[in-house]
Amino acid sequence: MKKKLTLALVLLLATGMLFAQGAQEQGAQPSGPIELTFWSLFTGGDGEFFDAMIKEFNASQNEIVMRNDMVKFDNYYTKLTTALSAKTAPDVVVVHQGNLLNYVPSGSLLPLDGYVDKSMLEDFQEAPLEACRFDGKLYSLPFDVHPIVMYYNKDILKAAGITTIPSTAEEFTKAAKQVKDKTGKWGMAIDNTTGTYKAYTLTRLFMSMMAQQGGSLLSDDTKKANFNNAYGEKALTWLKDLVNKDKVNPNELDYDAAMNMFKLGDAAFYFNGVWATGTLENVEGLNFGAAPLPAFMGKSAAWAGSHTLAIPVQKNQDPKKVAAAIKFIDWMTSHGELWAKAGHIPTRKSVTRKAEYKALPYRADYGAAAAFALPTPRTAAWEEIYGTMSDMLEKAVTKNQDTKSALSEMEKTINAIIATY
Amino acid sequence: MVQDLLRCRSEPNVLQGYPMIPGNKDKRDGILFSLPYLAVFTLFMIYPLLFGFFISFFKWDILSTAKFVGLKNYTDLFKDAKFYSSLWHTLQFVLITTPILLMMGFAMALAVTGKSPLKGVMETVFFVPYIFSMTVVATLWAWLMQKDFGIFNQVLVSMGAGRVSWLTNEKYAMWSVSLATFWWTAGFNMVLFSAGIKQIPQEIYESAHMDGARPWQVLTHITIPLISSTTVLCLILQVIASFNVFGQVYVMTGGGPSGSTRVLIQYIYETGFRYYKMGYSAAMSYVLFFIILLVSVVQYLTLGRKKD
Amino acid sequence: MTARIIEVLFILLWVFPLFWLVITSLKNENEVVTKVFSFWPRHSTLDNYRKAFTSTYILNWMINSLIVSTFSMILTIVVDAPIAYAFAKIKFPGRNILFWLVMAGMMVPFQVLIVPLYLQFNSYNLVNTLTAAMLPRIALPIGIFILKQFYEEIPSALEEAAFIDGASRFTVFNKIIIPLGKAALTTVIILSFINAWNDFLWPLIAINDTAKYTITVGIANFQGTHGTQYSLIMAGATIASLPQIAFFLFFRKKIIAGIAMSGIKG
Repeated sequence: MKKKLTLALVLLLATGMLFAQGAQEQGAQPSGPIELTFWSLFTGGDGEFFDAMIKEFNASQNEIVMRNDMVKFDNYYTKLTTALSAKTAPDVVVVHQGNLLNYVPSGSLLPLDGYVDKSMLEDFQEAPLEACRFDGKLYSLPFDVHPIVMYYNKDILKAAGITTIPSTAEEFTKAAKQVKDKTGKWGMAIDNTTGTYKAYTLTRLFMSMMAQQGGSLLSDDTKKANFNNAYGEKALTWLKDLVNKDKVNPNELDYDAAMNMFKLGDAAFYFNGVWATGTLENVEGLNFGAAPLPAFMGKSAAWAGSHTLAIPVQKNQDPKKVAAAIKFIDWMTSHGELWAKAGHIPTRKSVTRKAEYKALPYRADYGAAAAFALPTPRTAAWEEIYGTMSDMLEKAVTKNQDTKSALSEMEKTINAIIATY
Repeated sequence: MVQDLLRCRSEPNVLQGYPMIPGNKDKRDGILFSLPYLAVFTLFMIYPLLFGFFISFFKWDILSTAKFVGLKNYTDLFKDAKFYSSLWHTLQFVLITTPILLMMGFAMALAVTGKSPLKGVMETVFFVPYIFSMTVVATLWAWLMQKDFGIFNQVLVSMGAGRVSWLTNEKYAMWSVSLATFWWTAGFNMVLFSAGIKQIPQEIYESAHMDGARPWQVLTHITIPLISSTTVLCLILQVIASFNVFGQVYVMTGGGPSGSTRVLIQYIYETGFRYYKMGYSAAMSYVLFFIILLVSVVQYLTLGRKKD
Repeated sequence: MTARIIEVLFILLWVFPLFWLVITSLKNENEVVTKVFSFWPRHSTLDNYRKAFTSTYILNWMINSLIVSTFSMILTIVVDAPIAYAFAKIKFPGRNILFWLVMAGMMVPFQVLIVPLYLQFNSYNLVNTLTAAMLPRIALPIGIFILKQFYEEIPSALEEAAFIDGASRFTVFNKIIIPLGKAALTTVIILSFINAWNDFLWPLIAINDTAKYTITVGIANFQGTHGTQYSLIMAGATIASLPQIAFFLFFRKKIIAGIAMSGIKG
């Protein structure tokens, strides 16, 4: 009994200390460098590169100290939204471009127009910057663009006797079959099942192929589905046939397995975002190349996401902190060659001219992909549409559903979803 | 002789709950003893619970001002196919896991309260998985069951069998997640059942032995009836826990394949925090709450009343 | 004899996933994902553990979890046991309604409570403290339910005898109910500790500073944004679970020592 009491007292003291720590957070304004906070959704490989950049930023100057707290990407937006609802979000946050529309209308993000000087703005690539503008106001600054690209195994292609990279969908099917016949390996590694990660690749490819044929996933006003037509049929049929008819792509392949398959040298063509480069180039003995997403079905167009940096609105916005945050964003974006080490494409023109960036292998090969990146449809319903399409495409491909009926069911569901917003 | 002892235990205790001292202080004591919990509950839980219910009558994206929509969220969800499919997936999980987990827990408890020299080892081994967090268990089992590189399939392939689509075939996915859940939580039921079994007086067993009862008779006529309140406890808790399933399914299958294992709580979570339809999410939460409450009350009233 | 064989089989089956967890954590990632499977790592390595300990705040997380879980456990017992006793043995007005109100607490999906809970704690100025991580979890309805069911089994004759002797309700609670309900109490102690330790979503929302994370939140970040590194995740999982296993093993001895043959005493 006595032991329990002493233990309890000790622990009580411990909590007391913690209480005090919490209180201190609100009070003291330390003189010296401005302390900024940042929540990052970059974990794993990406996380290491990002942390290294923050360290270097802090070391490069002594006016601002940036503190970075990592939150697993899966829970990141839950935490961010909750914090924004109480106006306790950190000083700078990362927001996917496709998610900005969930935060802009409520006035949760600070419009940056007055704070960013012209020279900095002009250094940004236009398309990604424009994607951060809503109703003419700028709500964040793009940190990177990450399109879906193609990786290919040079050794397998050589062994299969393929000398030129295919460009059309038909050529790809043919090449994949050749790979299978000559080497026994898989021609394609496109993931089509949800595991730890959702099977977004199918949707990304589907969207890209719609645009490549001159169509679009949603109507221009984003109020209706626009894929239940010849374009959609061609795209879905191709994706389906790779798995079921031509059998050059494994069925029930999840995201991690697709990457691992390519890493182990078991697949010739692999499609994923540029972020995979960082992982792939660390695999010993993997002789691979990277290229922008081929124009399977006509024009060049590729799904691309973009990480942007934004400044949340606070209860008492401290102009010094805002200025410091802008400086931070300026430094991070203008040192994009460090972020490119993770595979991402930088957004500042000055970075693409730097020697260190040009020296990075693979990045230069697909840097041009940013030019035909597909913008995300501007609708608050996007997250639900994206997730639902992934589920339904997953089903259509893995279960080899009839294309026309699958598409019409998708159209019905998507339209119903849009109507609820 | 056994019968006598059993009758002794189950005879109505007229004075149950009514102490013999004059000046009945039950009311005062009841409230006093409830106060600590109620204080904590009021301070930390009442506001969120009421807020959640309140917001279910609004359209709210968490960040903007909420818009009153009356019963619209509720009428919408009753027309929502995804609500029904998610609820059905949750029900599947409840129906699969409840009977099996109860039986497993009971069987394990028998094993560890019996005479086996291995009972200490078994108790530890069966309980330890419960200690792990949901993420750890789910990630581990997702890896064990991974179709192309997981060890289960690699063992099967090496034995000449084919790969099993543990988590990627909708016929198996829910069962696979349930299997992981069995490993994870059967030990907890074992602990509850053990505690119940250990409270059975040794004399009853000794009498039965003297009366020449066989093990099966002892089991069905003594053990099972005498732990009935533990069984009911386990049953109610298990049903509530299974209705609340989310984490392990989400980590292992992401709700897939093709959303075929999306349970209701996942839908509630995504609706609130991915699609920013918090009011709708709240409405679904309270419908689920109502279902769980109904099921629990029915179970308790039909099974849980002390047989006086 | 067959019983022994079956038992050994089940023990091995049950241990296998744990074995795989630890083995994977001792492998290099390129040995984890491979076409040629092997039970034992060809080159076992402590790299993953080294990485976990040096590049993260894993020790801080461990201590934070210990503090949160221990306090949670103590406070849970303090509030749960009395009300469980009241439900089991004291007939007071509104008892049934109150019981279901309490139970309702564990029937509402937690996800819907996150935002209001956060707003509430923000108004208390407790966001980003361990206290915030711990407090909502103290009210543990499942603990009350378990205790109530076991307390109901304790024969009232014992209480009545004590009352006749002039004991107060509190004495009865302290000297009779608690000791006789030790099995259930120990169960709830273990349960509340584990519950608090494994709590994930709320601590993630409530705590911002990486150094203040609890271990469950911290090791979640071993999951990469764009790819899974199994060996690292398994190492984190092993580290995170060790204190709990130690706690359980320690407490298990107490259970066995403390639970005498309970029965109808004279």
